[in-house]
Amino acid sequence: MINELHGIIFAYRSNPELRELSQLRNTCSIPYGGRYRVIDFILSNMVNAGLTDVGLIVHANYQSLLDHVGSGKDWDLSRKHGGLRILPPFGYAHKADGIYRGRMDALAGVRSYLTNIRQDYVVLAGGDLAMNLPLRDVFEHHLKSGADITAVCTSSPKGDPRGSDYFTVGADGFVSDVSVHPFTAVGYESLEVYILSKSLLLSLVDHCDAHNIPSFSQGVLLNAVGKLKISPYLYDGYAARLQSVAGYFARSMELLDPAVRAQLFDPARPIKTKDQSNPSTYYGPESLSVNSLVSDGCIIEGEAVGSILSRNVRVEKGARVENCILMQGTTIQAGAVLKYAITDKNVRVNPGRMLMGHKTYPLAIAKGEIV
Amino acid sequence: MKKECVAMLLAGGQGSRLYALTSHVAKPAVPFGGKYRIIDFPLSNCVNSGIDTVGVLTQYQPLELNAYIGTGQPWDLDRSDGGVHILPPYMRAGDQGTWYKGTANAICQNMGFIELYDPDYVLILSGDHIYKMDYSDMLRVHKERGAACTISVLEVPMSDASRFGIMNVDENDDIYEFQEKPKEPKSNLASMGIYIFTWSKLREYLLADEADENSSNDFGKNIIPAMLSAGEKMTAYRFHGYWKDVGTINSLWDANMDMLSVSNGFDLYDTEWPIYARTPTKPPHFTGPKAHISHSMVTGGCEIWGDVENSVLFSSVTVEEGARVHYSILMPGVVVKKGAVVEYAIVAENAVIGAGARVGTPPSEAENADDWGIAVVAQNLNVGDGAVVNANAMITRDVKGGIQA
Repeated sequence: MINELHGIIFAYRSNPELRELSQLRNTCSIPYGGRYRVIDFILSNMVNAGLTDVGLIVHANYQSLLDHVGSGKDWDLSRKHGGLRILPPFGYAHKADGIYRGRMDALAGVRSYLTNIRQDYVVLAGGDLAMNLPLRDVFEHHLKSGADITAVCTSSPKGDPRGSDYFTVGADGFVSDVSVHPFTAVGYESLEVYILSKSLLLSLVDHCDAHNIPSFSQGVLLNAVGKLKISPYLYDGYAARLQSVAGYFARSMELLDPAVRAQLFDPARPIKTKDQSNPSTYYGPESLSVNSLVSDGCIIEGEAVGSILSRNVRVEKGARVENCILMQGTTIQAGAVLKYAITDKNVRVNPGRMLMGHKTYPLAIAKGEIV
Repeated sequence: MKKECVAMLLAGGQGSRLYALTSHVAKPAVPFGGKYRIIDFPLSNCVNSGIDTVGVLTQYQPLELNAYIGTGQPWDLDRSDGGVHILPPYMRAGDQGTWYKGTANAICQNMGFIELYDPDYVLILSGDHIYKMDYSDMLRVHKERGAACTISVLEVPMSDASRFGIMNVDENDDIYEFQEKPKEPKSNLASMGIYIFTWSKLREYLLADEADENSSNDFGKNIIPAMLSAGEKMTAYRFHGYWKDVGTINSLWDANMDMLSVSNGFDLYDTEWPIYARTPTKPPHFTGPKAHISHSMVTGGCEIWGDVENSVLFSSVTVEEGARVHYSILMPGVVVKKGAVVEYAIVAENAVIGAGARVGTPPSEAENADDWGIAVVAQNLNVGDGAVVNANAMITRDVKGGIQA
């Protein structure tokens, strides 16, 4: 039964509010939670639900994403039959200026791929949300409810209303109204994960293409009200939506809470990521590491307080990082002090430097910079 | 397809001197260095040396080792041509077939595997040493000297030489005599148990050895002496660098401690010669608000709320608040509860040390230095709240709360 579900991930959204962090990559491949990229979460959610075939729709700025997912072998998706398929915009006969104006545009761009899907059902999901969704449960819910579309949503709003969709649920338990990007949140916020049948998906793609409706919210959700049955699946576990540098910082720091980690890193549904064969992290004789999340391959001889460290970070003697996010390969040299800073990959902070941002405006240092 | 050199890794030994640590697994599968198992070192050396065909000979408790090696993907040994292969003993037509009788017999029984690749040379390795070595350089020397057999040797202190197999060599490093654990050693060149043979030669001696009913079918006892007495060209390859046999509790503990400092001669962080491992999927480790960690290695899934010094922690180890772990090795999934003290100990997978319990003591507190040793707690055991496990103890059953063991 479970092999009847096919995954499609929209992995092209870039959020300009993420400034330096999304300069060289789109939101899906932003490092998050120490050793992960945001895409790891939905990809693992799918694999943990038994999905064997996943299409990854990419558009621009996807080099870092390709480098990360590779053949998909770290998610057991490197398969002879099916597995991970990267879908670049090669077949896209664009009506606009070459960018996907919305998800229906993107789906129209890969229509031949959709036609060849061997499963009866498809789950559509954004690649830029970090959560540990029990997708198998969602699929069972879909089959049981008899709905045309199942929409995963939450009662605790996660995002900016102007960038989110909301559902009102009627007495019959199905969605009675949809609000697209409203000024204020009403009802349940969409987590942008939808399950529907392959045949319905194809007819919706054709309808939207023929009527020049690029957006899923407009073309499918609003259009469906009163015509199709949309069943809400309420998921109130942890979900992180990364829409700005300050939001990224806040969502990251939430991971220092054991209760949040217990949800996001539930051992029954492990989040998989690219394997790098790093050794363990070494702590020197004079090091200090408190209230921090630290990935493998680091050498810490200085102090890390309330911080999140990705793989292969160096904190040299006498250096101190407080409330910081240090991405892969960051080196903080002797005596440097950082507070409320986010260092992107391979940043080097020279000896004795002092860098301080604020909780509401963390300092982001772009990939490869030397301070 | 033809391969120039095929590696055969002897991984069938029980490792009985590791006692409880090898009651469920073969020695090569014993966890080491925070993220590894002992076999990762020779396997990674093979890959880093450009050898892509490795036979792993298993016999004793192979299940965990088999599962660990799997397709060989973590070492890039999942190849369509060559790759890593598990080789257990097997039956042949006419009810023929035996367990591996000795190291040479194990290779002899798998001659068919070796010949699939029609190699010029065969590299024989064992699964109980920690070292980094470029086997391709050893092969270069073997070819340059036109040897039938090249044995890798390490200069050991003369006072230790009687614990090893000693190679006596001439001015060209050609071996003229082999002495197994000699009382009065003539040289300090110890065999590291790493051999390269010209395959056609080895094949000949293996068949002759197999035909000899009195032979114990062992490389050190039979094949090497037979080749020497027949006057084959046998040469020593001098290795310089870190090498440690981890066949005993003390040496396993020592070698783990060596990984904590590059000054001990082994650098796990060297990206030029990475050691690969199959690692479980775990989130980054967390250090609590009162954690104190010093001169230690910590890895994925660990939750450290207490005090950790001079220790090696494997994945998903929990050290609760007020607990103290000093000079110890905690294997995957170990839990050290509130206020417990673990010192100079090896605690195997998923063991739980109860609140306020005490495992091991520092040598300085030992009444009699001869009785002191590393305390060992075997896997999946419970050491009850407030229990005491003495130095040198080998715990193989649950210890009830408040009891001294």
